[in-house]
Amino acid sequence: MSSSIYIKSKNVFLDTVNSKDYVQLDRVSTIYQALKDSIKKPLKMILLYGKPGTGKSMFLTKLYNDLSSSQIVHIYQTPILDESEFYKVLAQDIFSTKYSGELNFTQFMKIVNNSDIGSIPVVLLDEAQLYSDNLMEKIRLISDTRTIKFVITLHKTEEEDLIAKEHFQTRIWESIELENASNAELKIYIQKKLMKANCFDSANMFTAKSVNKIFKLTNGNYRDTNKLLYALFDIYSAYDENHQLSSIGTTQVSNKLIEMSAIHTGLINA
Amino acid sequence: MLNTRDLEERWLKYKIKSYIPYAIIVVSLVVIILITSIFFNANKKEKELALVSEIKQEKQIENTQSVATTVIEKTEPKKIIVEIKKEVTQEVPKTINLASQNNLQKSSDEPFKLSPSLDFMKKMQHSSLPYHQNEPVQQQKSTSPVIEEVQDLGIEENVEIALVEEKPEKITIKRRDSSDDIRHIIKRFKKNNNPALSLFIAKKYYEMGEYHKAYNYALITNEIDRNIDASWIVFTKSLVKLDQKDMAIKTLRKYIENSHSSSAKILLDEILAGKFK
Repeated sequence: MSSSIYIKSKNVFLDTVNSKDYVQLDRVSTIYQALKDSIKKPLKMILLYGKPGTGKSMFLTKLYNDLSSSQIVHIYQTPILDESEFYKVLAQDIFSTKYSGELNFTQFMKIVNNSDIGSIPVVLLDEAQLYSDNLMEKIRLISDTRTIKFVITLHKTEEEDLIAKEHFQTRIWESIELENASNAELKIYIQKKLMKANCFDSANMFTAKSVNKIFKLTNGNYRDTNKLLYALFDIYSAYDENHQLSSIGTTQVSNKLIEMSAIHTGLINA
Repeated sequence: MLNTRDLEERWLKYKIKSYIPYAIIVVSLVVIILITSIFFNANKKEKELALVSEIKQEKQIENTQSVATTVIEKTEPKKIIVEIKKEVTQEVPKTINLASQNNLQKSSDEPFKLSPSLDFMKKMQHSSLPYHQNEPVQQQKSTSPVIEEVQDLGIEENVEIALVEEKPEKITIKRRDSSDDIRHIIKRFKKNNNPALSLFIAKKYYEMGEYHKAYNYALITNEIDRNIDASWIVFTKSLVKLDQKDMAIKTLRKYIENSHSSSAKILLDEILAGKFK
């Protein structure tokens, strides 16, 4: 195998949120379908939550790409922390209303009520745990008017669970939890991802044993797995360049190199 | 570009660290096994030593027991004599009681029982003494069959004890032809229970200065036949020699009362006068 394959394989696992990189796993597909169905329902708000690296942002991006052709969808992957700015961005994007000065909640609600856009727009807010309590309360109020549908993603931590409880307990009609991959799912995820990029040789290197080792280190977390495999193929390419691959072998992923990449990424504290 | 060398070094350290707990477990297990095996072996050795010492002690006990039994064997005749003496002094004619006592003693000393060999029987038949011919007549005279039976056991007992004592002392030290004769006669006496033979043995022993044995055989003779003067005389003489002068006088007086024997009276006078010592 030439070093270009390792470099190509390495780039597959770049930690980027791209809907093209979305890997369809059975469980994830079911959840995604459920999310799509929920958007069709007359719900006020949908909460998508899970631990960091479980694919919430990917889900949201995928949803945006899928829905954007059929309905008005806006995605905000980075939170707009200023309240006025938030209203102004929404007014401009959804209702095409430019506002030069400060825009408060009342003024924004006037814009919403006066608008005539036909269908209910969907606003996708990623990293909602970063919004202030005050702004979250305003978002809730806007969703209560049923003029804008919000899909928000939250990190599942104890603190963020509290936020979810306080602000959305009675108002969220659909909440979907995303979880880490299982051992089998992780193998499919890695191989599918590599095969999507035509890295068949690299995909064949992942045996059940090596995937099990990766699973132990990452606990099935997609972000950690991406980081680990990126480092792994980086090491492989380095070994290839130094002509050291013969000592490791290329038929299957070396446990030594997995551990080395875990050390490099900080998954192993050595 | 990754610094693979640095990564490898870190990985090596990590591997060593990860093996430390296993190494500790293995080492501790080995240590535990070693300690337990040492402890077990030590216990085993202690047990073995204890066993050995027990065996030694048992052997010692056995030795002491054997010594004790030999001592008892040696001392027992005296005891018997004393017991018999007491009874004799109280009631001389009570032979059945004495016999029963002998019977009890016999049961405890059974392992040392002697039995005559067939060779001796042959010898005995060839070298029959003149007085042996008179034997059946004297036997008919002497006692009832019940007394005979009981006394026979008693005789056996006394003879055995006498032999146990005799073997180391008499045969080796004195080396007399008469002692061999006595042994033959004893065996013959055991066979036919003739009072003439026991009286002969008593006399012989008295001549040899073995007053205990002389006393025993005289007593046996008296039990078989109460009317033999010579037997009573040897019996009392033996008692005097054994420093039982009072008992000898008592016995002699009782015998004179029953038999009015003149020879017994003469002996009594001699004892009382201090002529016979």
